Amino acid sequence: MSKKKEVLEYVDKEGKRTDGRKADELRAIKIEAGVLPRADGSAYLEWGQNKVLAAVYGPREVIPKHHANPYKAIVRYAYRMASFSVPERKNPRPGRRELEISKVSGEALEKAIFLERFPNTAIDVFVEVLDSNAGTRIAALTAASVALADAGIPMRDMVSGVAIGKISGNLVLDLNKHEEDAPDAVDMPLAVLPNSEEIVLLQMDGLLKRSDWENAFELGMTGCKKVYELQKAALKKKYEIANGDEQK
Amino acid sequence: MSVVIWDLDTDKVINRLKEGKRIDERAFDEYREIKLQKQISENADGSARVQLGETDIIAGVKFELGKPYPDTPEEGTMSVNSELLPLASPTFEFGPPSVESVELARVVDRGIRESKCMDFKSFCIREKELAYTANIDIYVVNYAGNLFDASAFAAIDALAETKLPKVEEDKLVAGEYSGKLKLSRKPILGTFAKISNNIVLDPNLAEEKAMNARFSVSTTEDEMLCAFQKGMGGSFTSAELSSMLDIALKKGKELRKLL
Amino acid sequence: MPRTIVTPGELITSERKKLGSNVHMHEGRIYSTCIGLVEEGTDFINVIPLEGRYRPMIDDLVVGIVTSERFGGYGTDINSYYPAYISRKEVDESLRPGSIISAKIAKVNEINEVELMNVRVFYGGEIISVSPVKVPRIMGRNNSMLELLKQGTNANILIGKNGRIWAKGGNTKLLEKAIAKIEREAHMENLTNKIADFLRAENKGAGAPISAANGKIPLEQTKHADSRSMEMSEGRDI
Repeated sequence: MSKKKEVLEYVDKEGKRTDGRKADELRAIKIEAGVLPRADGSAYLEWGQNKVLAAVYGPREVIPKHHANPYKAIVRYAYRMASFSVPERKNPRPGRRELEISKVSGEALEKAIFLERFPNTAIDVFVEVLDSNAGTRIAALTAASVALADAGIPMRDMVSGVAIGKISGNLVLDLNKHEEDAPDAVDMPLAVLPNSEEIVLLQMDGLLKRSDWENAFELGMTGCKKVYELQKAALKKKYEIANGDEQK
Repeated sequence: MSVVIWDLDTDKVINRLKEGKRIDERAFDEYREIKLQKQISENADGSARVQLGETDIIAGVKFELGKPYPDTPEEGTMSVNSELLPLASPTFEFGPPSVESVELARVVDRGIRESKCMDFKSFCIREKELAYTANIDIYVVNYAGNLFDASAFAAIDALAETKLPKVEEDKLVAGEYSGKLKLSRKPILGTFAKISNNIVLDPNLAEEKAMNARFSVSTTEDEMLCAFQKGMGGSFTSAELSSMLDIALKKGKELRKLL
Repeated sequence: MPRTIVTPGELITSERKKLGSNVHMHEGRIYSTCIGLVEEGTDFINVIPLEGRYRPMIDDLVVGIVTSERFGGYGTDINSYYPAYISRKEVDESLRPGSIISAKIAKVNEINEVELMNVRVFYGGEIISVSPVKVPRIMGRNNSMLELLKQGTNANILIGKNGRIWAKGGNTKLLEKAIAKIEREAHMENLTNKIADFLRAENKGAGAPISAANGKIPLEQTKHADSRSMEMSEGRDI
C-alpha cells in the first residue's frame, strides 16, 4: 500500500462514507414501544450500535412539592449512560455532560406535550444508554418521545431528531463515532416537531460556515422525517402484534 | 409570592414588545452597556471582570500540570467551571453545582474549545507525561440576565491576558512566566431570547423570566460559527435561526473590538 | 371496517368537524393528541385512547387503597395524579392504611385534586390492575362484557373507572386471563364474542362446567357494589 492511501478519506468520490452510507443515509434504526411493564410508557431503540431504553412515569405528584408548577406539569428528564456503554468504563454517577444533555432534552419535549392540562404534576422521563457509538442524545430523545406517546400523555406532536455532521467539507447525516472523531468534524444534533418543523433542540460543536446553516437544516429535516415515520410505525406495531396473535 | 411578581414582570415585558419596544428601550439587536476590567487578580495567570448592564462576572485562568489524555498524548487541555455565587442573586444557593451552572460552564467551554483558538499541542511539555491544563473559572457576582454572553466574554478576555507559567522540574513556578498564551481566534458568544414571538439579543433579567426559548451561538473573526445551544421549552424556526446567526456575526465583530 | 390507529400529532382530517376528545386543531386541520383509534361521525371526530393515566371525573366509581391518615380523613391512592381525600364523615367504620375501598368521586378541582364519597370497604378478594383507558371495553356496551365475565367465572366483580377491578370468589385465575385478553385486544372488532368463546373453551378445558354454586360467595356482601358498578358504567363497544 502506498502512503497516500493511508490518508483518511471520510467521503469518497462516489459520495460514499467509510461505512458505505450515502451522505443523507441514517444508520439502521429499530424502535419498539411498550417494553417495560411497570412504566406508564416505554420504548427500546437501536440506532446503529447505540442502544437505549426509555421509560415515562406520570403525570404524577411532584416530590419535593416546592418544585411543582401551579400552571403546568414539569418535565424531568434523566439521560444516563451505563458504565459499560463506552470503551472505557464510565463512572455510573452522572457527569456534567449527562446533566446538560438531560436539561436540553427535557426542554425539547416541553413544547410537544400539553403540559398546561396537568398543573402541579411531574412527567418523569428516564433514559439509559446501554451501548454507544455517537449520537446517543438524539437516540435517547427519539426513544423518549415514543415512550411519552406510549404512556398516553396528550401531545401536540412527536419529537423527532437526527444529528447533522460535516466531515472533510461535506454535509452528512448521522455521524458515527469514527466520523465524529475526525479532526475537522462538525456535529449538530437537531430535534424538531415534525408537523410544524419547529426546532426544539439544537446544539453544535465544530467550525461551521454561516452559509452552511440552511443546507444543514434542510438535510436535517429529511432525516427527522424518516425518524418520525419509524416512531409512528413502532407505536402502531404494538397493536398490530396483538392483531397478528389473534389471527393464528 | 415570587410567582406573582414574576407574572407582573412578564406581562410588562410582553406588552412592551407588542408595541415594538423593550422595557429598557434598547433595540432588539442591541447589547446593554459593557464594561471591561483586566487583570483583577494578581495571583491569577489571567483574569478579567465584565459588566453587562447589571450582570457582573469575574473570570480567572489558572494553569495546572497533568497527564495528557490517552487519546491525545501530545496535547494539553482546558476546562471551564462556573460558580453561581449566592451573593449574586436571592435564587442562588450553596451546594453542588445546579444544572443551570453546568450548562453555563459547558456552553462557554464549547464556544472557546470548538473555535480551536488555543493550540493544545503547545500545552504539551512531555508527550504522554506532562502537559498544561488551562482552568477557566467563572464567578457570577451579580445576576441580571444573560450570564452566557457575559461569562464567555469574561473568559475570552481573561485568556487574552493570560501568561503561561514557567515549569521547572515538572512543577509550576509561582509568579514566573514563560510567555503569553497565544490565541488564534477570539470567539464571541451571542445569546437571544424568544419572548412570545419576538426575538431579542442579550435578554435582561425580566426578559429572561419572560422568555420561552433561548439560543446561543459562538462566532469568530473569520465568520465561522463554532457552537450552538438552544435552551428552554419553546421553539425556533429555521428562518429565525438564519436571522439570529446574521445578527450574532455582526454583533460579535463589534464586541471583539472591545477586547 | 377496522378503525384507524393514529399517533400523537398525526393528521386525521382537513375537513371541518366538531372536535371530540383527544384531538386538537392547528391551522384548520385536526390532529390526534394520543395513540388511539379514530372515531369519526358525520360532524364530529374523536380519538379513543389506547394508553393513558386515569383522569378523575365527577361521579366515577373508583377502587382505592388507603395510604395515609390525614387531618379529618384519609389519603387514598386512586391510581391518578395525586392521592384522593376521604372525609371521616363519609365512612361508617374507621379505615387504615391498606384498606381497600370503592367510592364515588364527589369533587374534582382544577388541578385534579379529588374528594371521595359513598365509601364502601372491602374485605378479602383481590385487585386486578388494568389500563384505565381499557375499562370501557372491560365493561362492554350496556355492561355486556361485565355480565359475560361474571357468568363465565362466577366471580363477584366490581370495576373501578380508575383501572382497578376488585374480584372475589369464583375462578379469579380465569377472570385475570380473560381481562388480560380484553386489554390486549381492546382495539379489535367483535371482542365480546371472542371473549365468550374464550371463556367457554377455558371452562370446557378445565373439565369443570360452571355450576351456579361453584365457589360463589354470599351475595349480600358485595351486592351494593355490583349494582352500583352497573348503574354507573357506560361501556362503549369500540
